[in-house]
Amino acid sequence: MPYMEYHTNSCPCCNNKPEPSDLFCNGCGFPLQGTQQEQDFFYSERNAKEIDLADLNNNVESARKSLYWIAGLSVISFLIGYFTAKDEHDKFAILFTSVILIGAFLVFGIWSKTKPTVALISGLSLYVIIHILNAIVDPNTIFSGVILKVIIIVYLIKGIRSVLEVDKLKKELNIN
Amino acid sequence: MEKQEIQQIECSHCDGLISINNKYCSICGKEQKKDQTLIDSRKWPGLKQIGLFFGIELICCIAVLSTDNFDISKAILFDIILAGTAMLFFSYNWKENMHLLKWPNFSLKKTIVCIIISIAASILVQFLVEHLNQLLFNTDYSFYSIYKPHKYGKYIMIISVALFPALFEELAYRGYLMQKLLTIVDKKEAIYITSILFFFMHLSMISFFWMLPFSIVLAHIRIRENTLWYGIIIHFTFNLTACMMEILAFDVPI
Repeated sequence: MPYMEYHTNSCPCCNNKPEPSDLFCNGCGFPLQGTQQEQDFFYSERNAKEIDLADLNNNVESARKSLYWIAGLSVISFLIGYFTAKDEHDKFAILFTSVILIGAFLVFGIWSKTKPTVALISGLSLYVIIHILNAIVDPNTIFSGVILKVIIIVYLIKGIRSVLEVDKLKKELNIN
Repeated sequence: MEKQEIQQIECSHCDGLISINNKYCSICGKEQKKDQTLIDSRKWPGLKQIGLFFGIELICCIAVLSTDNFDISKAILFDIILAGTAMLFFSYNWKENMHLLKWPNFSLKKTIVCIIISIAASILVQFLVEHLNQLLFNTDYSFYSIYKPHKYGKYIMIISVALFPALFEELAYRGYLMQKLLTIVDKKEAIYITSILFFFMHLSMISFFWMLPFSIVLAHIRIRENTLWYGIIIHFTFNLTACMMEILAFDVPI
């Protein structure tokens, strides 16, 4: 039995306003005049996609959190470096570098709320650059906390990929 | 009031007539992906290509920074490697990028304004950087010292510091990188990402107060004018002014 009541209102799935003659919603593809079974099938497919979307959003959220983690870890390495520095010149260099780096990661963390792609790509690049430079100055740093570094990099890369996937899925589901 | 006519297209599955704005066919319910699937599927490989590009740029720049006894021949070698990278990536995506080498709305007035502003900005930045270096690190930094021993040092410096970066950094960042990013993210994000990566690539923390705004301005101009030439001229004039100031400060004029 067709469900005509939807036609006077908006689409039950995406709140789009379809024409009365439309068989399917032109925003999300909901079978407006389909049978109960067809509509249920549509709902279940949409639910699966919404679960995917939630997973992807979690990935983005983890990547955002790792930016704050990097800032936090930078604070710890700053404190260790600052209090073990030999002279005033070294102390000043460590202070100057740390303030800028910690500030940068915090800014990227905050920025990732509105512009996740920019913040995550920038954060990842900066993180990689710092560790390459550190490794050149002191090759021993490559192995210190290597698991943590890999985890952070993986989270950031997964986050960037998920942002792209989220955009794609949102378009499919007609949600903003 | 005249009724606005909505353009209609054929559904890609059932050939029924539907509005061009429809995401789904209102007759058969199939998604109207048009070229969207293709665009979406190219985003992640595009980002990976950007990763490769930036990785190569970064290795070169870090190698410059960590090379002992950096001299004129090493400077030229790295210039050539970076120029090669820029040309390789630009020409690999030639179809998307070729339009950037055209100069559709050439304006002498705009060009002259660009030149004057970049000379003024360069003088101001040189002045500030010199004072900041003195204040924070108590050192004077001069890139001229690398080129000075050579007989034609001044000319090589102008090619290596002004001409090459202007051409190939613009080709690489505002050209290849920006064009690739525009297929992945929106204009604003593309401007920010190119500018931030451009700044990171220089590996100079202290220059963030001028290099970030500088590259954001260049990226904006590139988007607005749809050509690389204004960027190349601004970048060249900016770096040339810096070269001239170095030469004037440490040597007799050319």
